[in-house]
Amino acid sequence: MTQLTVTAQKRPNPYLSIDSLDPESELMLLHFGPQHPSTHGVFRMDLYLDGEIIVKAVPHCGYLHRAVEKLCEKLSYVQLTPIVDKNDYVAPMTNEQAIVMACEAMLKLEVPRRARWMRALFAELQRIASHLLAIGTFCLDLGGALGGGSTAFIYCFRERELILDLFEDVTGARFHYNTHTIGGNRHDLPAGWGAKVKAVLDVIEARMPEYAALTIENRIFQQRTKNVGVLDGELALELGVTGPNLRASGIDHDLRRDAPFHAYDEVKVNVAVATGGDCYARSIVRVAEVKESLRLCRAFLDGMPEGPINSGKPTKLTVQTKIPAGQVYVGIETPRGELGTWLITDGTQNAYRLKIRPPSLHALSALPYILPGYTVSDAVAILGSLDPIMGEVDR
Amino acid sequence: MAVTPPPLRTVDTGAGFRHPLYQVMLETPGLTVGTAALDDLLSWGLTKAMWIFPMATSCCGIEFMATAASRVDIDRMGVIVRATPRQADVMVVAGTITTKMAPRVLKLWEQMPEPKWCIAMGSCAISGDFYRNLYSVVPGIDTFLPVDVYVPGCPPNPEALMHGMMRLQEKIQRQRKGENVVPELNPDLLKITQPSVPRLNEATRSPTQTLEQERASENPTLDEETDPLVVPPSEPAPGLAPLVGADFQALLIELGVAELPKDGPPVIPAAQHLELARRLKGLGYRQLVTIAASHWPAGKGRKGADAAEVEHHEIAYALRTVGPGSRLASWAVKVPVAEPVLTLAGVFAGADWQEREQFDLVGVRFAGHPDLRRIMQTENATTHPLRREFPADAHLAPWR
Repeated sequence: MTQLTVTAQKRPNPYLSIDSLDPESELMLLHFGPQHPSTHGVFRMDLYLDGEIIVKAVPHCGYLHRAVEKLCEKLSYVQLTPIVDKNDYVAPMTNEQAIVMACEAMLKLEVPRRARWMRALFAELQRIASHLLAIGTFCLDLGGALGGGSTAFIYCFRERELILDLFEDVTGARFHYNTHTIGGNRHDLPAGWGAKVKAVLDVIEARMPEYAALTIENRIFQQRTKNVGVLDGELALELGVTGPNLRASGIDHDLRRDAPFHAYDEVKVNVAVATGGDCYARSIVRVAEVKESLRLCRAFLDGMPEGPINSGKPTKLTVQTKIPAGQVYVGIETPRGELGTWLITDGTQNAYRLKIRPPSLHALSALPYILPGYTVSDAVAILGSLDPIMGEVDR
Repeated sequence: MAVTPPPLRTVDTGAGFRHPLYQVMLETPGLTVGTAALDDLLSWGLTKAMWIFPMATSCCGIEFMATAASRVDIDRMGVIVRATPRQADVMVVAGTITTKMAPRVLKLWEQMPEPKWCIAMGSCAISGDFYRNLYSVVPGIDTFLPVDVYVPGCPPNPEALMHGMMRLQEKIQRQRKGENVVPELNPDLLKITQPSVPRLNEATRSPTQTLEQERASENPTLDEETDPLVVPPSEPAPGLAPLVGADFQALLIELGVAELPKDGPPVIPAAQHLELARRLKGLGYRQLVTIAASHWPAGKGRKGADAAEVEHHEIAYALRTVGPGSRLASWAVKVPVAEPVLTLAGVFAGADWQEREQFDLVGVRFAGHPDLRRIMQTENATTHPLRREFPADAHLAPWR
C-alpha cells in the first residue's frame, strides 16, 4: 500500500471532470456514507475507484445542517451559548468561549482575571478530552488490525469519563455545559475541585505510555498511517486548515501562543509540530498536545487567581442586552483548530449575522486533494486522522 | 384543521390461527404449557440479544459511544452495536435528523429485518428541540418512523439510554403476550421533507386564539424604551482586538482606503479585491481564515440605515499570517444583489467551499468559481435561508 501512495501527485486537480479522467468509463463509483461508522457522523464522499485506488473524491456535507446561524439571528445574545454548545459537541466549552468573546469584544467588556484563567483551564481540559476521543475513535477506524482497535477506544473513553465527571462537578452537565456568560463565567469552581483535577491529571499522565504503546509506538499503527494522506503545508494554509492538522504539516502556528487569548499570554505554551503531514504526524501531534495540556492544566490550577468570576457591569445581562452596531472577528484555538466568530451587530438585541468559522469544515475541504492515489481503507484512516466533527462542519 | 388520530393496530395474538398441528397441540394434554414456555423462551431471546444499529448523527452519538464504552458497557445487556442495518434489531436514532438526512434514515430503517424497534434518543430526535422551527430540521423522527421508546435529555446520560433499553425489553415482552398495542403511522406523516400534518387536534388550542396570536404571545416583542442595558464602553479587553499590521495599512492606503473604520473591516472596491488578496498573500498573509457574506436589504426598511442605501451583499474576508505575533487582515466588498463577486478560489484553494457555503445560504454569486454548487442544503433547494426576508420560524412544524 505504501508503494502506491508515493506516486500520488502533490496537488491533484479536484475540478477535473470524471469524463476526462475516465474516458472508457471503467471506474467504479462508491458512495461512502452518509451513514458509515467511520465518517464520524453524517458525511458522504463519492469515491471514483480504479480497482481499490481512489482516482477522484467528491465530498458532500450538509447532512447535519441545523441552521444554527439562522437560529442565532433570532435569539438574543445571552441565549446563544446553549445553542452553540451543540456545534462542536466534543469540546462544547470552546464554542461558548468563541461566542461570548465576540460579544465581549463588541461590548468592550473586561473579563475578570479569574474568569479568564478558568476559561483557559476549561479549554485545556476540553482539549485533553477531545484528543482522547480523537485518538480512540481513530484506532477504532483503523480497525482490528491493531490487535483490537477497540482496545484503545475503550481505554480512551475510560479517561474521558474522568474529565466529564470534573465538568459535571462544576456545571452539573456531562456536556452542553452552558457555563460561560458574556463577561465571565456562570459557575465558580467548587471547593476541593482542584485536588480532584490534579488526581485525574496524574491518572492520565500515568497512562500516557499505555496509549503511546497502543498507538504511535505500535508497528501496525505506524504501517497503517505513515505516508498516508500527506497534506502539503502550503496547501493546508491555503485551505485554511488549522490546529493539529496544520501543525502536522510542519507549520508552526498555534493561536494560543501566536495571538493569545484567555490567560495564554501569562503562561508559556509549547507548540507541538511534526513535519510528515501524514496521518501518523497528525496522531503524534495530538498525543504531544495531550501531554502539553496536562502541564498547562497544572499551571492554570496552581496560578488560579482569586476574585470575581464575572464582570460587575452589569451584574446580570438580560435578554434585552443590546450591542452597538459594528463588526468583529474573534478566533480562538480549539482542539480542532481556529474556531472563529464573525459577529455583525446592528444595535438591537439580536445578532444581524453570525458566521461561525468551523475548523473541521476547512479540514474536510482538504479531502479532494489528499485522497486521490490512496486505497479505500486508507480513506478511512485519512478521514479519521482529520478528526472532523460534523456538528460544526454543517452547523 | 381537524385531524383524525393515527389508527391503532393490535398485535396478532393468533386467535384466528388454524393449522392441523395447532389442533393436535390443543387436543393433547400438557402441550399448550410447553408452547407457552417456548414462547417465553422466544421473548427472552428477543430481549436479551438486541443488536443495535446506531443512527448516530450528532451529540447524542457521543453519549451513545460512551454507553457502549468502558464505564457503562451496554454489552452486558447483550446489546451489540452493529454498523449495518441488516444485522440489527433496534435502531437508535441519536441526534438531530435534518430534511437532507431523513430519506436516508427511512431507507436504512426499511433495510432492517422484522421484528424491529426504534428508540428516539435525545430531544432532537424526539421533537427537533430548539431547531424544530427551522427550515432544515425534521421536528421529531416520529413524523416518519414508528418510535417505541423515547429517551429524553440533551443529551441523555448513558444511564438514561440504558434505562430506555430496559423499557424496550419490557415492552417487547408485553408485546409477545399480546398485551400491548403498536401505534401505526399516519401515511400523511410519511411525507418527511414536508411534514405538514398537525399532530395535536386544533381543539386543544384555545378557540379564541389563532396560531399567529399564540406564537406572538410566546415571543413578546420587547419595548424599545425599557432599560436598554447598553453597556458603556470601557477599555478593550486585552488580546481581543485584531492586530492590524503596518503592511496591511500601507497596502490599503495604496488602494485608496485612507483609514481603518473602527467598527468593521475596510470596504474595498469590488474590482480591486482580487488584487488585494494576491498582494496580501505575497506579504505573508498565507492562511485563509474565513469568508462571511451578509445580506442587507434596501435602507428604507431598516432601522438606523441610510435610506438611500440599495439592497446589497457585503462579503467580508479574513486572512492571517502564520507564526508568533499572528496578524489578521480583513476587508469587505459591497456589491448590489444582482452582481457577482470575483472568486478567490484561484488565490486560496480553501475559498472554494467557503464561497459555496455563502452562495448556498446567503445567495451571493461568485464569478469564475470552478464549482459553484450548493453545499449545505439539498441540490434542488430553491431558497437562500440566511437572507433577511427568510423567516427564522419556519413552516415545517407549526404544531410543535
